[in-house]
Amino acid sequence: MRQAFITAALVTLAALVVSSVAVAQTPQSQSQPKQAVSPWKYYPKDVAVGDGGPAPKRDLSGTWAGPGSTPSIPAGTPAERPTLTPLAEQIMGQRKSVGRFGPAGTNDPTATYCDPLGFPRDYVYQNRAMSVATMPNRVVFLFQFGDFWREVWTDGRALPTDFGDNRDSLDPTFMGYSVGRWEDDYNFVIDTTGLDERTWVMNDGTPHSVNAHVQERWTRIDHNTMKVSMTIDDPKMYTKPFSLGTYFFRWVPNQKIGEWLCVPSETLKYLTEQGKPAGAFPDEPTERRGGGRRRGQQ
Amino acid sequence: MKMKIAGSVALIIGLAIAASPLFAHHGDAAYSSTPLILKGCIVTEFDWMNPHSLIKFDYKNEKGEVQHWTMEIGSPPSMQLLGWSRNTLHYGDVITAYVYQSKTGALVGRTNKVILADGTVLADRDDSTPSRYSDEKK
Repeated sequence: MRQAFITAALVTLAALVVSSVAVAQTPQSQSQPKQAVSPWKYYPKDVAVGDGGPAPKRDLSGTWAGPGSTPSIPAGTPAERPTLTPLAEQIMGQRKSVGRFGPAGTNDPTATYCDPLGFPRDYVYQNRAMSVATMPNRVVFLFQFGDFWREVWTDGRALPTDFGDNRDSLDPTFMGYSVGRWEDDYNFVIDTTGLDERTWVMNDGTPHSVNAHVQERWTRIDHNTMKVSMTIDDPKMYTKPFSLGTYFFRWVPNQKIGEWLCVPSETLKYLTEQGKPAGAFPDEPTERRGGGRRRGQQ
Repeated sequence: MKMKIAGSVALIIGLAIAASPLFAHHGDAAYSSTPLILKGCIVTEFDWMNPHSLIKFDYKNEKGEVQHWTMEIGSPPSMQLLGWSRNTLHYGDVITAYVYQSKTGALVGRTNKVILADGTVLADRDDSTPSRYSDEKK
């Protein structure tokens, strides 16, 4: 019996590896559009082939295809499930995810009102494409989804700590306050805190406090590839730090990404004419009838 | 024998995990598990929008009554990966709609396949997803 389980585990692992390698090696001829390439058009399937040469030093700049944009992006690893404190459990009990409750029954502020996903949910959920710009004293991340951006200061300033009720306390923000440093020529580490408590960490409604500390480790693997591994620590909400996952990004050949907004009037139309009439069935299996993103992604 | 069964089960699960799509915006628990196949539908509106695009059409049922349906597909970024665009459907197009109707009985549903009058199949699912239809033509 034990041997059977080992065999089963090995076969499963082999299937996953074969699949991921096959996906990673999708020839560009299959992913390139047939029509002439326009510098003004976004081709979501068009990602660079090969490594493109060595990674530039201390540079993440460029436009990148991210998780879920196309099958040729390596899947990475999904976020872990945290062990919640009683306070976090209480908050979770009030949150109704769109995955389980559907558009008709959810109270996810993004699905309901187009509220910003905020950081770090915008990385673990809808980050299909983004640009990175390097400025003299900061690195700026520009997200396709929602046209949001966040700035990471690299001038050596300390991470702020006061988001309380003092006269000079900082306001919590959807993207938080971030500082970054190059650990070496290819690894950029970002620390973030001061996150608005209205935002969810993940689609299931996992909460965070304003003092949550998120750390990202960006690795420029080669010219065409980079990845980020993320962890979050928040003793008010979790009994221990946990991984928010690892996500890969690939260079976009024409460096153009499309606009993708959450438009409140469109969301209202969708909810009124489709989502709410369809009803909520939270206790039934969340099956999938149409297309979607690859398993393992939020 | 048990080992072979365990290995086969694991292989199937492994391939399913590796190849199958997962929820994008929401799950589809609200919809029935078998599709209605509605022929001769006339498109009245195509909303290329987030979080899900909508296809509206009129369908004349067996009693001769005209029903006004709305069904959702994926978001524009998801549908672009499958070759759709805002110009894929137009007012007046005649289609066959494969629609998973809402369990509430409302005339709304989820589709993953539309066939145009010329036989063109418009799918809303990843190519790696096994076909749900035995009569599907690639």
